[in-house]
Amino acid sequence: MANAAPFIRLDQLSKSFGRVRANHNISLEIRRGQILALLGENGAGKSTLMSLLAGQLQPDSGHICLNGEEVVLSSTEKAIHCGIGMVYQHFKLVENMSVLENIILGQSKSFWLRRGKLAAQVAELALNYGIDLDLDAPIRSLSMGEKQQVEILKLLFRKSELLIFDEPTAVLTPTEADQLFATMREMAAKDKAIVFISHKLEEVLAIADEIAILKQGEIIDQLKPSANLSPAELARRMVGRPVLLQVQRRELETRQTVLKVQGLSGDGLEDVELELRQGELLSLVGVAGNGQKALVETICGLREPKTGTVRILGRDWQDFFATRHSETGLSYIPEDRQGLATCRGLDLLDNFLLTTRHGFSRGPWLSKQAAGEKLEKLMQDFNIRPPDMSLAAWQLSGGNLQKLVLAREFYRKPKLIVAEQPTQGLDIAAAEEVWRLLLKAREEAGILLVTGDLTEALALSDRIGVMFKGRLTALMQRSDQAAINRIPQLMAGLSTEDEPIHEEVMQ
Amino acid sequence: MNADLLIALLAAAVVSGTPILYATLGEIITEKSGVLNLGVEGAMMTGCFCAFITAKLTGQPWLAFFAAGLAGLLAASIHGLVCLVFQGNQVVSGLALTIFGVGLANYLGTPYIGLAAPGFAPVPIPGLAEIPLLGPVLFNHDPLVYLSYLAPFGLWLFFRHSRFGLGLRAVGEFPAAALAAGLNATAYRWAGILGGGFFMGLGGAYLSLAYTHLWTNNLTAGRGWIAVALVIFAFWRPGRAVFGAYLFGGIMALQLRLQAGGANLPSSLLLMLPYALTVAVLLFSCRRRGTLGPAALGVNIEPSS
Repeated sequence: MANAAPFIRLDQLSKSFGRVRANHNISLEIRRGQILALLGENGAGKSTLMSLLAGQLQPDSGHICLNGEEVVLSSTEKAIHCGIGMVYQHFKLVENMSVLENIILGQSKSFWLRRGKLAAQVAELALNYGIDLDLDAPIRSLSMGEKQQVEILKLLFRKSELLIFDEPTAVLTPTEADQLFATMREMAAKDKAIVFISHKLEEVLAIADEIAILKQGEIIDQLKPSANLSPAELARRMVGRPVLLQVQRRELETRQTVLKVQGLSGDGLEDVELELRQGELLSLVGVAGNGQKALVETICGLREPKTGTVRILGRDWQDFFATRHSETGLSYIPEDRQGLATCRGLDLLDNFLLTTRHGFSRGPWLSKQAAGEKLEKLMQDFNIRPPDMSLAAWQLSGGNLQKLVLAREFYRKPKLIVAEQPTQGLDIAAAEEVWRLLLKAREEAGILLVTGDLTEALALSDRIGVMFKGRLTALMQRSDQAAINRIPQLMAGLSTEDEPIHEEVMQ
Repeated sequence: MNADLLIALLAAAVVSGTPILYATLGEIITEKSGVLNLGVEGAMMTGCFCAFITAKLTGQPWLAFFAAGLAGLLAASIHGLVCLVFQGNQVVSGLALTIFGVGLANYLGTPYIGLAAPGFAPVPIPGLAEIPLLGPVLFNHDPLVYLSYLAPFGLWLFFRHSRFGLGLRAVGEFPAAALAAGLNATAYRWAGILGGGFFMGLGGAYLSLAYTHLWTNNLTAGRGWIAVALVIFAFWRPGRAVFGAYLFGGIMALQLRLQAGGANLPSSLLLMLPYALTVAVLLFSCRRRGTLGPAALGVNIEPSS
């Protein structure tokens, strides 16, 4: 198999945007029956490379060979026609249509849809690849994992030979991820070519037949997973310096209670109980959409608790938010960095002043000079690049914008911090820095961390809670390894009884 | 009210509901593709005048009918140009089309006010017309009414069972999905706008060719707006549009009859009835689960960089 001609060969492919070299002299072979992992930090050029393959962008120089013959992928349709299919991170599915309709969209040759015949074809295909789906179910009723299976079936149905997955596990439970890997292996066994983009190192090591590492638009390394290739080694090659993938966390003495939630129900929540003390980091893990949003919004004052009590810093919810002024000791770090946390069109100084005006205002007037001096120092301390506060928020990369939000919120010396997916979409180096900052803030505050990333929860937490269908189904100490091992099952809502843990994929 | 009066009223409901039905179907086609066209009134009025003048000059009602469809299509193409080519605001463009279409038709029609043109006359369908109640209500009309019976069914088939219908719906719900499936989303939206405009033109044609047979200013009298509201009432389904159109047709017919019968009410109040009902209907059909329109309705397709 390895000797066969590659399905697709990229030859010296380059693409620049202005002065930025997004891709530079990239040569790569994509073979049938193999899973190729593309690894790289944000901005390393992974998306550009994929857009070139999907026909959305045209290379400045170099060419693409399909089965040994040069092709020009001038449009998305052309790429589809050549058998190249993408599973995007944000699914391209019509929520109000059925599974079948989504799959046959654009695929029928005849004027009238022969639903029966098409349904039989799709069902057979699904059976072949071990995918179990109700073809008549509307997309909106499916879980994220099932939606992804629809995307895969879509590509298989249009006879894609190369399937490109863009961070496919970001939205999946561990169990769903295992299932996806099984499907990917099945597809590789049926001689499809698979490209898998990720920055989760363990996954890449577990599933890939070959790994290509992108850095600053170039392929700097190409290797095969082997027994002596560790995640840490992979991370070092990717970032270009040793990355610990771990932060030093020491136990702190917990002090006063900063958050107490009792019997909170409504808005999709059911009887949530939790308590958080200063000096403690409590992670809530779970697949997105299991009530985390409602809980966070209630605690942060965006929605009123229906039943149950929420006490913040020793005061009742009503009382706390009724007399709110800028220095209340509560900081909210929303998931939506460019929406809730910042105004994308405002410059960094204005964004800083959004939540932090104490000390910078005289009557109705803002003292921008004083704030500017403070922010300049903060931007140095937090290593925010480029260090120019006249830039608009949207001009910063995700990691730097997140650091700005953290700098702003921590400056206010909060006692309670609610952080929602603080490292989502950040590369390893930036994520590591955010982790470090969170742990530092923990010395003075209680932190409630909502995350979908188990690694993050394990690295940072003192305690971990699991959310499923609006309930806090389990709450455990970080040190309780037996309980920790059950988290994947708990996230999928399976019974809490002891079950053997399927570790073969993650190892 | 005796049976004869009731039958006459129901038959009148079908007749005055027909132009609304054509226009509503037109707006459904347009909105299914994700484009909001508030210019229904303008496209109808353009079609209405085009039908009148074609019939007057050629004496061919069928030719006039299809010319009206083309006129509606042409009027709607202005909306397409603004929204699809120049990414303009759909609401503003639609409102402008209404003002433009109504104004143009009134201006060009001024010399013809009060004049008649050849049109369609009732053609009872042999056999069916003799059925008690149903016969006189449904099968004793002009051919354009019979054609409007087929249209909703044809559209339902098109949306549900043809690949172009599926594509059109996908473009209205989530253009990115259609693009990813290799469909030309903009072309589908053009088809939705132009096809919809054609039906709106036909609705206008019915007014001058079958309903009045003569030309006056503002012949459409807000029926285009009622059609816009009916689309929401119909949950974007052609079948339900039939009920809505005949309900409004019935109210319009009733209101005329009440006026003629010397009801002890100011005529302005009676004239207001259909529009008051429009508001009432919208209040009760809004925001129920599963009855929201196409997800991408009113949102332009961002051109890819």
